[in-house]
Amino acid sequence: MSVQTEGTDTAGEPAVRKARVPAPPRGDGRTAGAPSRGRAAAPYLLLLPALLATVVLLGWPLVKNGLLSFQNLNPRQLIQHLTEWNGVDNYREVLTGEDFWRVVGRSVVFTAVNVVLIMVLGTLIGLLLARLGKKMRLLLMLGLVLAWAMPVVAATTVYQWLFAQRFGVVNWVLDKLGWHSMADHNWLETQFSTFAVVTLLIVWMSVPFVAVNLYAATTTIPGELYEAASLDGAGTWKSFTSVTLPFLRPFLLATTFLEIIWVFKSFVQIFAMNEGGPDHLTETLPIYAYVEGVGNQHFGVGAAISFLTILVLLVITSYYLRLVLKQEEDEL
Amino acid sequence: MKRKLAAAIVIAGMMVSVSACGGDDDDSGKNAGPDSFKGQTLTVWAMDGSTPDQWVKDVTAAFEKKTGAKLKFETQKWDGIQQKITTALSESTPPDVLEVGNTQTPAYAATGGLADLSDLKKEIGADWTPSVSQSSVFDGKQYAAPWYFANRVVIYNKKIWAQAGIKDTPKTRDEFLKDLQAIDKKTDAEPIYLPGQNWYFFDGLIIGQGGDLVKKDGDKYVSNLGDPKVAKAMDIYKKYAAFSKAPKDKDEATPQQAEVFAKGKTGAFIGMGWEAGTAVTANKAIEKDLGYFTIPGETADKPEGVFLGGSNLAVAEGSKKQALAKEFLKIALSDQYEGELAKLNGVIPNKQALESNLKGNAVAEAAAPGAAVGGTTPLIPEWGAVENNPNPIKSYMTAVLNGKSPADAAKQVEGDINKRLAQQN
Amino acid sequence: MKRSLFGRIWPNATAVVLFVGFVFPVYWMFATAFKPTGDIISDDPVWFPTDATLDHFKKAVDADHFWTLVVNSVTVTVLSVVLSLVIALFAAFALARMRFKGRRGLIVTFMLAQMAPWEVMIIAIYMVVRDNDMLNSLVPLTVIYMMMVLPLTVLTLRGYVAAVPRELEESAMVDGCTRPQAFIKVIFPLLAPGLMATSLFGFITAWNEFPLVLILNKDAEAQTLPLWLSQFQTAFGDDWGATMAASSLFALPILILFIFLQRKAVSGLTDGAVKG
Repeated sequence: MSVQTEGTDTAGEPAVRKARVPAPPRGDGRTAGAPSRGRAAAPYLLLLPALLATVVLLGWPLVKNGLLSFQNLNPRQLIQHLTEWNGVDNYREVLTGEDFWRVVGRSVVFTAVNVVLIMVLGTLIGLLLARLGKKMRLLLMLGLVLAWAMPVVAATTVYQWLFAQRFGVVNWVLDKLGWHSMADHNWLETQFSTFAVVTLLIVWMSVPFVAVNLYAATTTIPGELYEAASLDGAGTWKSFTSVTLPFLRPFLLATTFLEIIWVFKSFVQIFAMNEGGPDHLTETLPIYAYVEGVGNQHFGVGAAISFLTILVLLVITSYYLRLVLKQEEDEL
Repeated sequence: MKRKLAAAIVIAGMMVSVSACGGDDDDSGKNAGPDSFKGQTLTVWAMDGSTPDQWVKDVTAAFEKKTGAKLKFETQKWDGIQQKITTALSESTPPDVLEVGNTQTPAYAATGGLADLSDLKKEIGADWTPSVSQSSVFDGKQYAAPWYFANRVVIYNKKIWAQAGIKDTPKTRDEFLKDLQAIDKKTDAEPIYLPGQNWYFFDGLIIGQGGDLVKKDGDKYVSNLGDPKVAKAMDIYKKYAAFSKAPKDKDEATPQQAEVFAKGKTGAFIGMGWEAGTAVTANKAIEKDLGYFTIPGETADKPEGVFLGGSNLAVAEGSKKQALAKEFLKIALSDQYEGELAKLNGVIPNKQALESNLKGNAVAEAAAPGAAVGGTTPLIPEWGAVENNPNPIKSYMTAVLNGKSPADAAKQVEGDINKRLAQQN
Repeated sequence: MKRSLFGRIWPNATAVVLFVGFVFPVYWMFATAFKPTGDIISDDPVWFPTDATLDHFKKAVDADHFWTLVVNSVTVTVLSVVLSLVIALFAAFALARMRFKGRRGLIVTFMLAQMAPWEVMIIAIYMVVRDNDMLNSLVPLTVIYMMMVLPLTVLTLRGYVAAVPRELEESAMVDGCTRPQAFIKVIFPLLAPGLMATSLFGFITAWNEFPLVLILNKDAEAQTLPLWLSQFQTAFGDDWGATMAASSLFALPILILFIFLQRKAVSGLTDGAVKG
């Protein structure tokens, strides 16, 4: 769900807040008086709508998806509403095929490259924002916000135009710069260059989120910390590693987690760019599930791949999830 | 596969049809429809380009007069159509009548989503050209009615050809390639617009070489792209494509090649007759420069092989308006409106008696010699899955055009094709 | 802190280069949309649309059902965002301010829910919606889009609620407010930047979604704008003027909303920082 990638100014905020208000004292804050029974039910009542929505709107499709993954479901069964259980056939077909593991590897590499680029560039630009004068900062902010706000469907279309084989402005520039073989270059011809364009697109639309929020977080670092550091004789680099980085650590962790999810789930950017082509070579897990399931009308197999996709995502993010679990434990 | 035979019968019909016309007997007013249809609306899905405006207007008027019900045409795009039809057929309110491509009909017939039209065939289908109605027969039942057939021709820009000093249309492939070269040298136009994935044209070339896309291996169908005949066909494709700047990894619908041609900077393209209409809609000025000729073959006496594309009309099994849908088919496929469609779109009608409508139609006259040596993709239920996106045959074409050897390219997509052919229904 | 001339110049120079890099695709979209076709397909790019034309926009808006789709998109987007904000606010308050059994499990549930890969569950969703006879309706779209943004909204708002000093709330209660009143009068106003930030996320998600609407709503009258844009592109693939005009029209509402809300959200953030 790449869609979200650019849309999220929001997501960093909890992290930012966390950074600013390091673990507010909790637990003893309850107002006086023994809790009545109504009081005890209050949190559950407040959470009821959200939980209900999650169970019905997410849980139900998830369970349905799980059930479908154990069925032989092709156009005939779908059209006639037939249910044909076939045990673990779908999983066997996917897991023994040579494609699946290749796609998993590709998805992991793709995610890693993108997330590293996004986090490094985002952090650098965020720190740059902090160093700029007011006017330049506003200018750069404006540029970042425009890129950030571009809806993904439109952005993908625009990138196709920028990199178009004929009359695309990128090829023209490369040609003028002396790289004449690029004059009529088809960027979607090979796996590598298709991924390059997709990566540029994703990084372009994801960096602003990291940069802007990181900048906001740096403004909350108390000045005294830097003064103390410089009294200790710390140089620029030292004060960066001893003050800035530790302060931003929770923010960076949370943001990396979100970026991993968003990049991993990228769908529109890859699918609209080249439908996973050339020759299936840019299919990441979500695209693979879609092409095999919906495109190829092999719906049961598609459901099995979906399920495996979710598992892979869980494994990738398990480190952070464990961290959060522990932290929540500490907080209460 | 009896596809050669199919084509031969169609064309035999065309050749003798001149005087055989049965006339346009107008039976649309005979039995006024039962009032029970009043207030109902029949939904018809037709593909992009299939239904000329005039025809829609006339058929709608006749249908509404006869049945008292309303008729709603919804135009569908080819891109992603299989998923759309599959899901639609599973719904409680599917489109009542839908156009299904002849290569995809066997697959849909096998799903049980199409209503059995055997009765209708008895009633109005006695003189349907047997070979073309064959793609709709599954398990001995008729699951769709043949609607129209067409094959590709060369549509060219007379002005550009004149500028290049070409006097006559080419009769052989070599002449054609020479003409394209002349256009390339003497004008600043693109000689031909041929994107890398016009796979129906490619299929025609394979048919011309006497090759086939699949072969039988025991009781299974498997890819036959490794056949040297296929490689030869691809080689011919490559020669044509060398004269085009069109993208190697796109098909003729993205962008619509007729719209590219309409800009007047393209010498020719290979397309269906109705695409000329698309070009004129995009640019009225192009109309006077339009010309057509048969895709020339190796020698002057035998034109290039073509894919004999066709469309059938089917009724959704889940439709609650079966009787009304059949009323529609009776009107749409009546001699009057079937004939009108043939005339307006230059397509081959579903019975020989109506082929007189094509007389004097430049497109149809260019198409006729090709149809004689035309064929289709394998008419087996397994085939439908191969055409799903991303179509491996298109991947094969792009790979070869980008410099891979045909044998390597065939190997590269073979697994994908075989997997799809083996897919259970 | 003293800086050398170089030290003063390079941040600004980098900023300008970055600005151009980030803005150019957006600029090029609008510029192409306004250029006459001859300037779009020219061997040397025309950098500024000097002979601006509205032809491409006319073509884009001329598409069948365009205005119906606009209404649908706006309806679905606004409703799903409002719904998710309301529901999330309740949940966020409970998670941030109350102590109860299962709290930790719920937080993890929302974190997991946020990871749901919606596109890959499309057939399952389709079958659930189909079997409940809700195809070609805006209701499933609205609630599913709401669900897509709900987890992140809950988690984000929870952070905002937690950051409001507890004493503020308590002093309001000492002044005789009930807890709900204290929430509305004291906490809610402080949440404004958080609400704006999360609603932006919701807007952009709902506005963009298309694989789902493609399969759920075949009826042209029940579709949304992303479908119009993607189909437009397939049909007019090389007509970049019209395609870019369509993209511009599609992006414009979000761009405006973003510039408007983002400033408040970020300034809210920095204000808070000064106080903090």
